[in-house]
Amino acid sequence: MGVQRESVAGFPGHNLPLNNGTQIPNSPVKGLAIDKQVLAAPIKSAVEKYQLLPEFLKVRGLVKQHLDSFNYFVNTEIKKIVRANNRIESSLDPSIYLRFKDIRIGEPSVTLDGVSENLNPHTCRLSDMTYAAPIKVDVEYIEGSHGQKTRAQKENVVIGRMPIMLRSCCCVLYGKDEAELARLGECPLDPGGYFIIKGTEKVILIQEQLSKNRIIIDMDKKGNINASVTSSSETIKSKTTIQMEKGKLYLILSQFSTKVPIMVVMKAMGMESDQEVVQMVGRDPRYSALLMPSIEECGKDIHTKEQALDYLESKLKRSMYPPSAHAPNASSEKAGRVMTILKDVFLANVRVHQNNFRPKCIYVGVMLRRIMDAILNKDAIDDKDYVGNKRLELSGQLISLLFEDLFKTMITDVKRTVDSILAKPSRSSRFDFAQWIVRDNITNGLERALSTGNWDVKRFKMNKKGVTQVLGRLSFIGTLGHMTRINPQFEKSRKVSGPRALQPSQWGMLCPCDTPEGEACGLVKNLALMTHVTTDEEEEPLISLFYCLGVEDLELLSGEELHAPNSFLVIFNGHILGKHRRPQRFATAIRMLRRAGKIGEFVSVFLNEKQRCVYIASDGGRVCRPLVIADKGISRIKEHHMKELLDGVRTFDDFLREGLIEYLDVNEENNALIALYEADATPETTHIEIEPFTILGVCAGLIPYPHHNQSPRNTYQCAMGKQAMGNIAYNQLSRMDTLLYLLVYPQKPLLTTRTIELVGYDKLGAGQNATVAVMSYSGYDIEDAIVMNKASLDRGFGRCIVMKRLSAIIQKYENNTQDRIARPNRAGNDAGRMQVLDDDGIAAPGEIIRPNDIYINKQTPRVTRGTMVTGLTDSDFKFAPQTFKGPIGESSVVDKVALFTDKNNNMCIKYLIRHTRRPEVGDKFSSRHGQKGVCGTIVQQEDFPFSERGICPDLIMNPHGFPSRMTVGKMIELLGGKAGVSCGRFHYGSAFGEPSGHADTVEAISHTLVEKGFSYNGKDFIYSGITGCPLQAYIFMGPIYYQKLKHMVLDKMHARGSGPRVMLTRQPTEGRARNGGLRVGEMERDCLIAYGASMLIFERLMISSDPFEVQVCRACGLLGYYNHKLKTGICSSCKNGDNISTMKLPYACKLLIQELQSMNIVPRLKLAEA
Amino acid sequence: MEGKSYQRFPKVKIREMKDDYLKFELRETDASMANALRRVMIAEVPTIAIDLVEIEVNSSVLNDEFIAHRLGLVPLTSERAMSMRFSRDCDACDGDGQCEFCSVEFHLRAKCHSDQTLDVTSKDLYSSDHTVVPVDFSDSAGYDSSENRGIIIVKLRRGQELRLRAIARKGIGKDHAKWSPAATVTFMYEPDIRINEELMDTLTFEEKRNWVDSSPTKVFDIDPNTHQVVVVDPEAYTYDEEVIKKADAMGKHGLVDITAKEDSFIFTVESTGAIKASQLLLNAIEVLKQKLDAVRLSDDTVEADDQFGELGAHMRGG
Repeated sequence: MGVQRESVAGFPGHNLPLNNGTQIPNSPVKGLAIDKQVLAAPIKSAVEKYQLLPEFLKVRGLVKQHLDSFNYFVNTEIKKIVRANNRIESSLDPSIYLRFKDIRIGEPSVTLDGVSENLNPHTCRLSDMTYAAPIKVDVEYIEGSHGQKTRAQKENVVIGRMPIMLRSCCCVLYGKDEAELARLGECPLDPGGYFIIKGTEKVILIQEQLSKNRIIIDMDKKGNINASVTSSSETIKSKTTIQMEKGKLYLILSQFSTKVPIMVVMKAMGMESDQEVVQMVGRDPRYSALLMPSIEECGKDIHTKEQALDYLESKLKRSMYPPSAHAPNASSEKAGRVMTILKDVFLANVRVHQNNFRPKCIYVGVMLRRIMDAILNKDAIDDKDYVGNKRLELSGQLISLLFEDLFKTMITDVKRTVDSILAKPSRSSRFDFAQWIVRDNITNGLERALSTGNWDVKRFKMNKKGVTQVLGRLSFIGTLGHMTRINPQFEKSRKVSGPRALQPSQWGMLCPCDTPEGEACGLVKNLALMTHVTTDEEEEPLISLFYCLGVEDLELLSGEELHAPNSFLVIFNGHILGKHRRPQRFATAIRMLRRAGKIGEFVSVFLNEKQRCVYIASDGGRVCRPLVIADKGISRIKEHHMKELLDGVRTFDDFLREGLIEYLDVNEENNALIALYEADATPETTHIEIEPFTILGVCAGLIPYPHHNQSPRNTYQCAMGKQAMGNIAYNQLSRMDTLLYLLVYPQKPLLTTRTIELVGYDKLGAGQNATVAVMSYSGYDIEDAIVMNKASLDRGFGRCIVMKRLSAIIQKYENNTQDRIARPNRAGNDAGRMQVLDDDGIAAPGEIIRPNDIYINKQTPRVTRGTMVTGLTDSDFKFAPQTFKGPIGESSVVDKVALFTDKNNNMCIKYLIRHTRRPEVGDKFSSRHGQKGVCGTIVQQEDFPFSERGICPDLIMNPHGFPSRMTVGKMIELLGGKAGVSCGRFHYGSAFGEPSGHADTVEAISHTLVEKGFSYNGKDFIYSGITGCPLQAYIFMGPIYYQKLKHMVLDKMHARGSGPRVMLTRQPTEGRARNGGLRVGEMERDCLIAYGASMLIFERLMISSDPFEVQVCRACGLLGYYNHKLKTGICSSCKNGDNISTMKLPYACKLLIQELQSMNIVPRLKLAEA
Repeated sequence: MEGKSYQRFPKVKIREMKDDYLKFELRETDASMANALRRVMIAEVPTIAIDLVEIEVNSSVLNDEFIAHRLGLVPLTSERAMSMRFSRDCDACDGDGQCEFCSVEFHLRAKCHSDQTLDVTSKDLYSSDHTVVPVDFSDSAGYDSSENRGIIIVKLRRGQELRLRAIARKGIGKDHAKWSPAATVTFMYEPDIRINEELMDTLTFEEKRNWVDSSPTKVFDIDPNTHQVVVVDPEAYTYDEEVIKKADAMGKHGLVDITAKEDSFIFTVESTGAIKASQLLLNAIEVLKQKLDAVRLSDDTVEADDQFGELGAHMRGG
């Protein structure tokens, strides 16, 4: 009752807007007016709505979900955490305390030698620093000495440093325009949303998990129906499962050693009457019948609450709570334990106030009811893969988990130190609580977690690995794709297909194309273009609002009334609030309030007719997307709205505020009828899509005409677009990445899509428009190989720059010595290798560097340990030059040299080595349709086919690439590109864009082609460049955007004659990096055996691997040794050299024999004459 | 076989000639001859292009190799190229490639002192030889000489500087496309279009119009007075067979008969500006002659007989 009254009292503020009917846009009077207007208005096409998209992305950005989440953490969540644990008290004297009054994050800065200096992201990248801001708190604490206590206050006490997400509200880049960003060395197209930890960019991947605090009904392997709830409250995480096994209902909770009958639990919670339980589940006789066996099982000997508690106590796991010694009454203590578990662990999301277990009982009742529904009707089983049952955990939530844990650890640490100080009998100095706050814990904890990706939260026994990843900077699209990636929670090895399959509910939320191939296929997903992920919203005001909208409080209802046939249950964020008699009206009211902006735009209402529930959600991690609202099938967005938008008078937020657009989450979409186009709308339609191509993500958005391609081809392209070389960012040349691939002449695709323009791929392209002839040529084009025109390569096609970073540290040692850089010796033996060095001993920018050249003439002291040394002479140093290891026979250039100090105060030197490459045979190329291929041969221009207009292709692709791949989109790209170059207008190929005009139709393209004197089908009459005769067939020729992929022959080619060997086995090393040999493996050996090439096997397996000469004793069969003094072999077990034979053996074999001997096994060799 | 001559006397008729554009007819020869001429023009007519760049100062945004590559592709006036030596066969400098007989030196010095972006173009390249300079397009049609500043190499902002020395050498397009004097060299077979007038007369005006419009290029037209279909531009025909397909679709098979004349070619030559298009053709013929001479000169030797066999005998006879 008390709760109810309170909420009513808190209501009036929210009540006002409701009474003010004119505020609600959907009021009947206004609705009529709109209808008239529509009749008068000219017929609109869907094209205009597209303009919303750039507007949307301007407001939200591509990685807004990350930024929102982090901003929410920094502005709200962190304050909540501190408020919940704001007091440190000494356990010796509770009057000595420290209280945190407020917490905030400062400006990103670094403190060097006591001086605080502001940071900007680019300097952090370059000098391996962490981009972090101080966490400042205001504290009130007790100080004093000799029993005299005074209360003191201190503001802006730094308790640690928080890594800052780029472009979040704490970042210096927040709200900066292009020119300001350029001044800070930042690329305006860079989306932000990542962290810089020790100079490396780290992304916290979006984590996908099952909804918390929701009832999920599923069937296990044995066919039993389970209802499970993963509860998560501030203090505890628990999983409660109710299972129907052999017709009886049990509770499974990790605190109990076995399953316990649910009826016993109900009795333990005070529901002693079976009738009440039946009423709570519902009075339908079918439910009672299903409940009967459980009631009977329990009814035999457990009747009262005490009996039930005793029973449950016997089922408790022993080790959980060791009985404490000082407990006077053991049995009541035990009963208390069961009560605590029922109160705090069992369904932890349902709170218990003043031992009132009724809400919990009702919750169980609802769970039971859902189980029975599922038994009676298999359709009622929940789909775990349904996106509405998923929550996405973003960086803000993950960091808040970590921060809370670290903050609590800090508090306990402070408490411990303070206690130990107070415990000292005589304290000389004045006691100051504030000085014991340690800051390194939080700083290091956050930094370590972000740089390793290991999320260890002790409280929840959480131990996640690989939460963060290094942001891929191989291509601009790769970076964007990385920011929208969603990591699954469950292990990848499981062979279930369900979670990997494409879910219909993914529509518009997750990209259907962008997923990796192989083991993570279908598990790792990517967000679609317009997806937004919600953050938490305050619950209390919403709850009181709902009560005012006619929700009948749970407390006032009997079990019977709860499931009355004419009412719906109201469930808010997993809490059962009560019931409502007119659910449809209730849902509509909430939606109106939301559209009017009176409650948060991300609150979702979902009327579930089947479960007779109204689900309302305001929790974080739900995926949602904007849709245009339609009244009776007529869009609320009119021409004048779009005109205002174009004129810049109106923004996307205005559309939202005025209730023209709203966000729907996956569950609420089920209550909506969404028309794809305005023309398809019927009177039942409630919403209209903004643009159909937004169902695709960033990576899939690059593909022109993806809806004409076979679906896996789009998936392949999504993976390959991330490997394409091109421009990475506007600041690419001032970056110092470990590996950077750039294209010398990147181009904007001739056939673009709207997505390309929206994400900025037209400004940072990764490919070139190549004129492609689809024909067979020279036989070097089989198996997807392409033939390239040498003249095109001469002129710069596919030319790329590879930048590699090298680094060197001038180490300081404990004995006060340090490395030094010596002046190069221009006359000595190494003069040739020191050519690139400047007089300071460091390679100079612009110098040509070859493999084995020295790039830093470093010397290290011979003695680095022990006592302090001063006055070292030249002889105390030994040379430790670092040499360049690049591709043999190639010359690279030192592009840039940067010197900086790392955090250990050592001097560091970074070198950027540049290598310009032109395509060669074996380099990998790909179009945007998942059609990859290597360069098969390079042909002179005069040998290339040509048309009578003088057009000569840049590359030739074999037509066999088409039939099996069915990439019709590539053919349309060719046609569109050809029309584009001939008429001078970029053509569009957005997904599903033909009806809305975002993709040119083939008819229109053909028309343009004919106009420009080409054949409508894109085929040309071609002459052979070798003979000059016309080719027998017309050749399909035109421009296609080709990407050069990062896999190049130069980085892969490898051969070895003789070379290094492994120490242990004396066999050749493995791998290109170690100049290893090519292994004749088991299968290759089998082939040779089958063929009978015994001498070849002998050569490959011994002569060219690890031959070893051994002395074998014919008498005992053991290995002897060779005595160099006596010049004979001697057997050490026979103690003589009489029967020694010399033979060759693989060293590995000798090793095996010796290892066996060491295990007390005697392997004896029996020799015979061959 | 012996004694019979296959010699033909090809005829050339020049249709259009500009400095960088040439259109001519080549008649009474076959595809191999025409194609040889085309191939030589693209790949074997020598020109001069920058081959070696020594960079003194480069603080521009483009890196050294990038600029060197761009410089190489700048066309240089190469009238002297035919008489120049390849630096690999140059005796004067021992193949060093730095003497006046086989190379031309260029200097480029540019620094931006203003707040406006400075365009460094081919005009900033100073040549040691006034006959070998970057190609100037200012006098050709369509360009306003006052605003045209040559081929852009790099843009400099305030304080950036570019200083370099470049050596241009003689070379051929086979080695690198920068030495190719030809932008476009292409030829087509001259089409022979014969309209079956009898059948054409059976068509209505509307059908004729449809048929004429079915060709993507304007080959046919209807005489406004006589309403007869006439061939206005046979060379616009691209061998697309659209009109033949259209005729078949109209049920008038054999309405028009189009064949390619096997022995006459229409050449289109566009030059990069390194040498005049007309000179390009003459040089190409010269180079072709030299190549044939090289074959002929070795005809006495036994190995040439082995190499060419019947062909050698044929050449000796012819």
